[in-house]
Amino acid sequence: MRHLGIALVLALTVPVAGCVQTRQFADLQFTPPQGDYRLLVMRPDVTVNSVTTGGMPEPRADWTEQARANIIAALRAQQAERGGKVQIMARRNELRGVSEDMVADLERLHGAVGNSIALHKYLGAYLPTKPRRGLDYTLGAEAVELGRKTGFDYALFMHAEDNIVSRGRVALQVLGIAGCFVGFCAPNIGGGGQFAYASLVDLKTGEVVWFNVVQTGSQIAGLKMGDIRSPAGSAQLVERLVGRMKPGYEIRRARERR
Amino acid sequence: MCFRCCELNRRSLLIGGGAAAASLATGVAQARIRPADMHPLIGPGFRPTDRDEIGLWQQMDRVEEEVAGSNLLIKDPELIRYLQQRIGEVGGPAAKDMRIYLARIPDFNAVMFPSGFSVIFSGLLLRMRNEAQLSGVIAHESGHFLRRHMIRMWRDMRRKSDIFAIGAMVAGVAGAGAGVNTGDITQLAQLGTILSLFRYNRVMEAEADAMGVRLLAENGYPPIEMANTWEQLIGEQDASARHRRKRRDRGYSLFSTHPAPGARMADLKVSAAEATVPGRAYDNRRGRYLQAISPIRKTLLDDQVKLNDPGASQYLIETLARDGWNGLLRFYEAEVWRLRNRSGDDVRAAQGYAIAVAYADAPPEAWRWHGLSLMKAGRQAEARAALSRYLSMQPNAADAPFIRQMIS
Repeated sequence: MRHLGIALVLALTVPVAGCVQTRQFADLQFTPPQGDYRLLVMRPDVTVNSVTTGGMPEPRADWTEQARANIIAALRAQQAERGGKVQIMARRNELRGVSEDMVADLERLHGAVGNSIALHKYLGAYLPTKPRRGLDYTLGAEAVELGRKTGFDYALFMHAEDNIVSRGRVALQVLGIAGCFVGFCAPNIGGGGQFAYASLVDLKTGEVVWFNVVQTGSQIAGLKMGDIRSPAGSAQLVERLVGRMKPGYEIRRARERR
Repeated sequence: MCFRCCELNRRSLLIGGGAAAASLATGVAQARIRPADMHPLIGPGFRPTDRDEIGLWQQMDRVEEEVAGSNLLIKDPELIRYLQQRIGEVGGPAAKDMRIYLARIPDFNAVMFPSGFSVIFSGLLLRMRNEAQLSGVIAHESGHFLRRHMIRMWRDMRRKSDIFAIGAMVAGVAGAGAGVNTGDITQLAQLGTILSLFRYNRVMEAEADAMGVRLLAENGYPPIEMANTWEQLIGEQDASARHRRKRRDRGYSLFSTHPAPGARMADLKVSAAEATVPGRAYDNRRGRYLQAISPIRKTLLDDQVKLNDPGASQYLIETLARDGWNGLLRFYEAEVWRLRNRSGDDVRAAQGYAIAVAYADAPPEAWRWHGLSLMKAGRQAEARAALSRYLSMQPNAADAPFIRQMIS
C-alpha cells in the first residue's frame, strides 16, 4: 500500500515538475518598438552545456555554435515581423566609427547593470526606496554616444544558455524513479534547463527600458522544455524572451482608462 | 591553475558531489615528483581534438578576449615583449603557442588558463629578485599547460562525480530494497570524493613545480631560485602576520588545493639539486630583469606600500635591498613607516627620507617628503631647498602650486 502511495504522488508530481517561467520589467513610460526603428543586437552570448551523469555542466563547442546560429536566425525572423531594421553583431569590431574597446566597455557595463537588475528585481533584494518605479536603470552617456555614432534607436543585449542532460544522467533518473517502488525515491535529480535574459536599451536616453528573464527546466532529468540546438527550439526561446514585450505600467494604465 | 591561489570554486565541487567511496581519499603525505619524470604531454601547435577539451577551449577564447581587453592590464609593450620572451624560453614545446598578460594587481600570483594564456600579477614582478625567479614562476605555469592539467582535472572531477552519483543512487536503491538507510555512507562517500579532488589538485601543483625546475635548469637558470621564491614568500607572510600579532596560516589541510608552502620549498630544494648539472654555468640574469621592470618598479612599490600591510611591505623592501639599496627602495621604506604611523614613526620616516635623498636616483617624492619633514621640524631654510629641488624635478606635479606657495 505504501509503495502504491508513492507511485501515486509521483504520478501527480511528474507532469508539474517541468516549468517555463518568464518575468519582465519595463520602464514606466516604455512602449515596445514598432514600425520603422533601428535595432542593434549586441553579440548574443550563447552557451550550450552537456550535463554529466554527476551533474556537472560541460561546455559543448559544436552545440554552442549551432545554437548561436539558430538564435541569430530566429531573432532576425522575429524582428522582421515587427518591421524593424536589425543588425546583429558577431564581433566587437564591425560597427563603423565605433572602436572595439567602446563596444567592450558597453558590454561590461551592461554586465554590471544587468547583475544589479537581477539582484534587485529578481533575486529578492528589492530596493525599498524604489517601489513601483518599473525599471530605473541606465547605461549612461556612453550608450547615447553609441546611438549617436551609429544611428541605431535601440540596443538589445542577450544571454542564453541551455543545459542538455546526458544519457548517463537520464539513466540515473530512470533508476531514481524506479527506486520509488522499493522505497528509495529520487524522482527529481534534475540538471537540465534553459536560462536566458534580454535587455533593451534606448540609445536616445541610454536607459534600460525593458528587461526579461526566461527560465525553463524540469526537476526530472531528460524531460525537456525546449532545446535551442534546433531552429524550432531557438525560435521558441526567442519568442518567449522578446516576443511579447509589455508596455510600461503608466502606458498600460493610460490605455486601460481609455 | 594559479601559482598560489586561495580561491576555489566550491560550487563546482558541490555540484560535482562526491564519488563512490571514502577509500578514494588517501593519506595526506605525498611523495615528491622528480623533475626527470616530467615530460611534456603536448607538442608545438597543440589544438584540442577531444569533445570536452574543445568545449573548454571555446569558453576560454571568450575569457581571453575579456582579459586582453581589461583595463587592469599593464600594456607597456617593451615589458610585455620581455615577458613573452621568458615564456618563449621556458615554455618547452609550447613556447610559441602561449600568451602572457600582465595585470596590475599588487599580489603575488600568476595564473595559467586551459587554452594556454597566462596572467601575471604585477605584485609578482615586485617580489622577484632576478630573472631566474620570474622564469621559475612562468615555467611552473607552463608546466600546467604542458602537462595538460586543466583538462585532466576536469576529467578527474567528472569521473569522480559520475561514480559518486551512480554509487549513491545504486546504494540507495539497493539499501532500500534490503531495508537499510545508506544516507550516512553516502555522506561519507561525498566527503571522500571531495577530499580526493583536492588531493588530485595538489598532485598537479607538485607536477608543475617539478616540470618548472626542469625547464628552468634546461635554460641555464639556477633552479634553486624556485625554492628561494618560496622562502621569500614564507618570510613575507610571517612578517606580515607578526606585525598583526597573528600567526601565519600554515596553508595546509585536507582541503588545500596547493601543497603547503613549506613542503613545496623543501621539495623544490631537493629537485633543484637533482636538476643541477655539476660544472655547468647557471646565470640568474638579474641585471636584465631589473632593466626590464625599471619603468614600472616605482608603481609596483607604490601599490604595495598602499596595501596597508606594513609587515609585508617592510620585509619585501628589505629582501629586495639584499641586492643593494637605492633611492627608490629607501624612499618606500620611509613611506611604510609614515603610513604605519605608530609612535616614533614620523621621526623614523623623516630620517628615512633624509637617507633616500642622499642617493642620486631618489624619486622626486623623496625630496617632497624630506622637505615637508624638515619644515615640520622647524628647519625652514633646508626645507625650502628640498622642496625647490622637488619642484625642479617635477614642475607639473599636482601639488606644485601649494608647494610653491609654502616656500614663497
